[in-house]
Amino acid sequence: MLSIRRSVSAFVAVAIGVTLVAAATLLLASGRPQVPDRLARAAVVVQSPEAGASPDSFVPTRPWSATTTAKLVGRLAALPGVAAAVPDRTFYAQPLVDGRPAGTDGRREDAHQGHGWASARLGGLRLTAGEPPRRPGEVVVDRALGLRPGVPVTLLTAAGPQAYTVTGLVDGPGVHVADEVAATLAPGVRAIGLVLAAGADPERVATAARGIVGADGSVLTGDARGALEPRNDARTRWIGMQVLTATAALAGFVTVFVVASTFAFTVAQRRRELGLLRAVGATGRQVRRMVYGEALVVGAAGGIAGLLVGGGLAPLLGRLLVDTGFEPSTFKVGYEHWPVALSLVAGPVISLLAVWSASRRAARVRPLEALRDAAVEQRPIGRLRIATGALLVAVGGALSVGTATAGEARVAAQYALYAVMALVAGATVLAPAVVGPLVRMLRWPVRRPGGAIGMLVRAGVSTATRRTASIAAPVLLTVAFAVLVAGMVRTTTAAYAAGRADNVNAGWIVVPDRAPGLSDQAVAATRGTALLPTTVYESDPNSPPANRPLTALGVDPAGFAAANRALTVVAGSLNDLSGDDTVVLPASANRQPAEPYALVFADGESVSLRVVAVVTDDSIPGDLLLPRSVVRAHDPSALTSTVYVEDRIDPPIGARIVDVPGWAAEADRAEDRLVWLFTLLLIAVSAGYGAVAVANTLLMAAAGRVADLRLIRLAGATRRQVIWLVTAESALVVLIGALLGGAVAFVGLLSIRAGLAEQAGVPVDLVLPWSVVGGVVGLCLLLAVLASALPTWRSLRPGPARSPVGIVG
Amino acid sequence: MTTHTVTLTGLRAVYGTGTRRVTALDGVTTGFASGTFTAVMGPSGSGKSTLLHCAAGLDRPAEGTVTIDGTRLDDLGEDELTRLRRDRIGFVFQAFNLVTTLTTAQNVELPLRLAGRRPPARDVAAALDAVGLADRAGHRPGELSGGEQQRVAVARALITRPAVVFADEPTGALDSAASRQVLRLLRALVDDQGQTVVMVTHDPAAAAYADRVLLLADGRVVDEMDGEITAAVVAARIAEREARPSEHAAAPAGPSC
Ligand SMILES: Nc1ncnc2c1ncn2[C@@H]1O[C@H](COP(=O)(O)OP(=O)(O)OP(=O)(O)O)[C@@H](O)[C@H]1O
Ligand SMILES: [Mg+2]
Repeated sequence: MLSIRRSVSAFVAVAIGVTLVAAATLLLASGRPQVPDRLARAAVVVQSPEAGASPDSFVPTRPWSATTTAKLVGRLAALPGVAAAVPDRTFYAQPLVDGRPAGTDGRREDAHQGHGWASARLGGLRLTAGEPPRRPGEVVVDRALGLRPGVPVTLLTAAGPQAYTVTGLVDGPGVHVADEVAATLAPGVRAIGLVLAAGADPERVATAARGIVGADGSVLTGDARGALEPRNDARTRWIGMQVLTATAALAGFVTVFVVASTFAFTVAQRRRELGLLRAVGATGRQVRRMVYGEALVVGAAGGIAGLLVGGGLAPLLGRLLVDTGFEPSTFKVGYEHWPVALSLVAGPVISLLAVWSASRRAARVRPLEALRDAAVEQRPIGRLRIATGALLVAVGGALSVGTATAGEARVAAQYALYAVMALVAGATVLAPAVVGPLVRMLRWPVRRPGGAIGMLVRAGVSTATRRTASIAAPVLLTVAFAVLVAGMVRTTTAAYAAGRADNVNAGWIVVPDRAPGLSDQAVAATRGTALLPTTVYESDPNSPPANRPLTALGVDPAGFAAANRALTVVAGSLNDLSGDDTVVLPASANRQPAEPYALVFADGESVSLRVVAVVTDDSIPGDLLLPRSVVRAHDPSALTSTVYVEDRIDPPIGARIVDVPGWAAEADRAEDRLVWLFTLLLIAVSAGYGAVAVANTLLMAAAGRVADLRLIRLAGATRRQVIWLVTAESALVVLIGALLGGAVAFVGLLSIRAGLAEQAGVPVDLVLPWSVVGGVVGLCLLLAVLASALPTWRSLRPGPARSPVGIVG
Repeated sequence: MTTHTVTLTGLRAVYGTGTRRVTALDGVTTGFASGTFTAVMGPSGSGKSTLLHCAAGLDRPAEGTVTIDGTRLDDLGEDELTRLRRDRIGFVFQAFNLVTTLTTAQNVELPLRLAGRRPPARDVAAALDAVGLADRAGHRPGELSGGEQQRVAVARALITRPAVVFADEPTGALDSAASRQVLRLLRALVDDQGQTVVMVTHDPAAAAYADRVLLLADGRVVDEMDGEITAAVVAARIAEREARPSEHAAAPAGPSC
């Protein structure tokens, strides 16, 4: 029964879906942590203890103090088989070239990192020219910077610009200074690399090293050393993983959806044939099995095609992901087994899932339908269907509220995706019930004097509600998705920005420019109120998890209080934040003033502090406040993120000045940009898909309607009238889909807005990106009109009267 | 008394509800003896097709029973009914007889294949040969003329050797030569194989091939002829009925047999 012609659309739909799934999963499987080049020669690496945080928070491990490091290095170096044990120190140092920070590719974290010269050995770095750094003020730089040995160079460090002399060049990113200098700039150490003697077995050395380190760290060999990759790379990779997972999930869902509507359509078109089969003795089950069998064949074929295309596209997409910042620059595409297997299975599985409802309908076709015209369906919509649709819409609504009230943006995004899926599925299931009334409401676009075409259009669209619904379904999906996701992202971004701006009481804000942060010298030059963030670790052995990481902000209390409108002191006084051992905690920390509070700092030292004040949780953009001097003393490489100033000033090197609304809007700009790109990517996937599906279904419909249209021609319609008829019909159907989709999305957006407003405590404006919506609807409309007008034009060309597709009633 | 392959008792069929309610069959009781050829005639809308559908188990009557080869259809479930159709009943419709994606030979063997059997190629060839289409086995319906398609449907009815073949205006769309061919084939089913044929037609010339003619009006059997049937006689009887239309409603139900 398999007809090539009929199966093409389903095949194309499956193939596109599997292409996306295959590409996404191949990329997903390739996104493994890479062993940093800098540590490639260290067969065994000892890492300081994990921070007690969720794995996707990308907090660095808790460093060892200088004394612990020295003790560990001594004992590890003495192990048999170990040629050298080298502590890996990393600190902020960015060379200025022509007076500007070099390495403007801000995503490459290692471009502005400094290390001790000894650790060059861990990566097998060799001087390509000059001498190693031996004294303070000497530095070896990347030869890509274009500097020569002997020339002076300015390094931006946390303290400010420092004068150095280039003594040598290497072929690798970052700068290397003398080891004593590195030890003062990075007193805390997070990794010790072991260079092995020739012939030593890494596993054996690792076992011995474990005995020495015990609970005070972990020992990594082989690929496990990927855990040492730069935290920003890990974070970027994680974002990429979210993007790819979502894309694969969306592609799978959309495919099921589109293939389902294609199959539904095929079944609707084949009612007469199915009825004939039933009449000559096929049982319902046989019909069902036949439909399943076809789906299986189509699915398997589409799956293989999709896998081939997806496999071919993966490297290109991988490069694109790196360029857009969804994957770190170390990302390489490899061909793992499981994505291939998954894609091979995905085709048939998607197909079978999609054909489920169509097969039930096919089995219900009654033998008599062989004798009736197929266009008029007897039961437009069943009660079970209405119940299912209502349930899905309800679930979608609930998930939308979850989206709005979820604490974290990532969680919210996931909820949103599921909410859209549920809402869209619900709307599609309900669509046939709504099509009739909607068409009656939409009479105006096709009402013309004499209105024969209008009559035909309305009758065609509203009698064959299922056909209309299955053409409208992809439009519905696409529009609902685009409106909901784009609207949600825009609305959320705007709401957060509004909240941020509301909290700040300053005229202008100084932020870093082409640098990860502002140096002390730059901060001093602004004479404003600065925030100096550093990561500290809670060292209370009684409250698990151990080593819980916290963001501490080093501040000047008076200035901070003046610039922060949201500050509410619950107990104690912020003015007492001045001694070496003082700390201000949020209420959720459950401490009272004068209580002791122990923390481990970035230099690995454990310090017992005294609580001087407690503030409300939303008073501070971090976890706790420390005097600025305390942060600086324990973290020589800490960089200032933000400086609040009263009046507009000239920004120092590596800094920019922005006004408060501008700052609020761009505070998360890098992240917002990624989120928006991600959103557009998902919308493009679904819109492209939707448009293909619309065209697909309409092409099928056109083939099935040749006979009808011929009749209309014979009844006296001109060719132009017939073209106008099919065009108007398609436009009407697209319009119906867009309206339904827009309505569904609007409901979702309203609940998201309500949740956001509740959360932020301020009214939130609904932001709709009309350009995206217009683009999506326009694309569907264009393809729909082309896909219906062109084949009709062709089939109505004067020529042999007999239709090429079998008998015609 | 001859045995009846098909027996209809008190058949009533109703379409639609409320103001759109139409009574298509209004108490039809009759039978089709095995090894006979019956033509069902009557004005358009008189319920001929409905009668055929009910008798063939394609539709369920609102009241009354249909018995085929001793099996009461109203006792059967959907799947049993399907199997009965597959094994005992053949169809030839006015159009849409064939699955367009299958070849002629595949269309012919379809009912047997559905029953899980695979007829020998020889049987299929013989059936096609019997309808004069031996050289068209590999063609698809789209490549056949209307009359050829009807003959393929007859071949399909031949191969399962059904107890009864129902044909709804099988020659409605054919010219007189093609019609004659199809009618002769149906006649041969009765004469050579002893099968039972029930055919709806508007054409007195077609009815002349039958052993018996049932005349329907307003869902009732209003007249019946058997014996020597010629086109002229049938035409005369129909014209006679049309001359006194007022009597339709008052006419008693046709004689049962
Ligand atoms: N599916 C249906 N829904 C509603 N009414 C129907 C349906 N099918 C038939 N009818 C009505 O039932 C009556 C009998 O129809 P039927 O098709 O049996 O007539 P017929 O004798 O075969 O006519 P014709 O010679 O035109 O084929 C007609 O009045 C017709 O309008
Ligand atoms: Mg009829």
